[in-house]
Amino acid sequence: MMAENDNAAKPAAAPAAIGQFHEVQKGDTLSKIAEKYYGDPSLYKDIFEANKDVLKDPNKIFPGQKLRIP
Amino acid sequence: MSFRNRFAQYALIAFAGVVLAACANQKEPAATAISGIETAVNAASADASKYIPDQLADVKSKLGDLKAAFDKQDYKAVLAGAPAILSSAQALAASAAAKKDEIMKALSSDWTGLAASVPDLVSAVQSRVAILSKSKKVPAGIDLAAAKSGIADATSAWDKAKAAFAAGNLDEAVTTAKDVKAKAEAAAAARKLDRTTPAPAAK
Repeated sequence: MMAENDNAAKPAAAPAAIGQFHEVQKGDTLSKIAEKYYGDPSLYKDIFEANKDVLKDPNKIFPGQKLRIP
Repeated sequence: MSFRNRFAQYALIAFAGVVLAACANQKEPAATAISGIETAVNAASADASKYIPDQLADVKSKLGDLKAAFDKQDYKAVLAGAPAILSSAQALAASAAAKKDEIMKALSSDWTGLAASVPDLVSAVQSRVAILSKSKKVPAGIDLAAAKSGIADATSAWDKAKAAFAAGNLDEAVTTAKDVKAKAEAAAAARKLDRTTPAPAAK
């Protein structure tokens, strides 16, 4: 499922020196995010696993969500 | 020789004897005073040389002056100057302890901060390196080999920092932990962890 927003996907600035976060934009999927950060869409599961506290389904992400990029 | 002249001669001899006796009487106390100062300096020397080197050097310099006076048999000068120098020498231990305590508190504070942040930083870099290692196409601009090498170094150094802390060597623990932080940050830079814009995937 794609996120619903026309803005281009862009990662949020890391709120702290440690870790990196991505703010979901419309059109984002975990696969696309995985490709951006890891170069490999198949690694979306790593993002999903790291965000299980906010994601119940890897196919359901929403604009504005801030996902941790492990 | 008149009685008066003979008396003067005896008096002069007696006076010289008194002076010599007085000098001889002062030699031992002077030597004891110097020895006491040396003992105080030696007792404080280990910490003083580390934490208050200037103060230690000042006392040693004054002690050297006293010894020079002793060698010139100026025992009076030695006895006159010794109490103040002894007092300074005895204060070395307390001053060194106070300075050491101040430094230890600062190091302890540094360690607390580093111990709270470095493991998370290392863990974050390790996590990303592990994921990138599975990638079929590592994004352009990411130096995975450098990140792997850097994080391996950082992990090893962090173990050393923890061991130093456990052994009570706070100074070494903090220095090593700062090195770990630098290594982990370099590794993070190599894999672009802190970039606000992700590197584009290699096509």
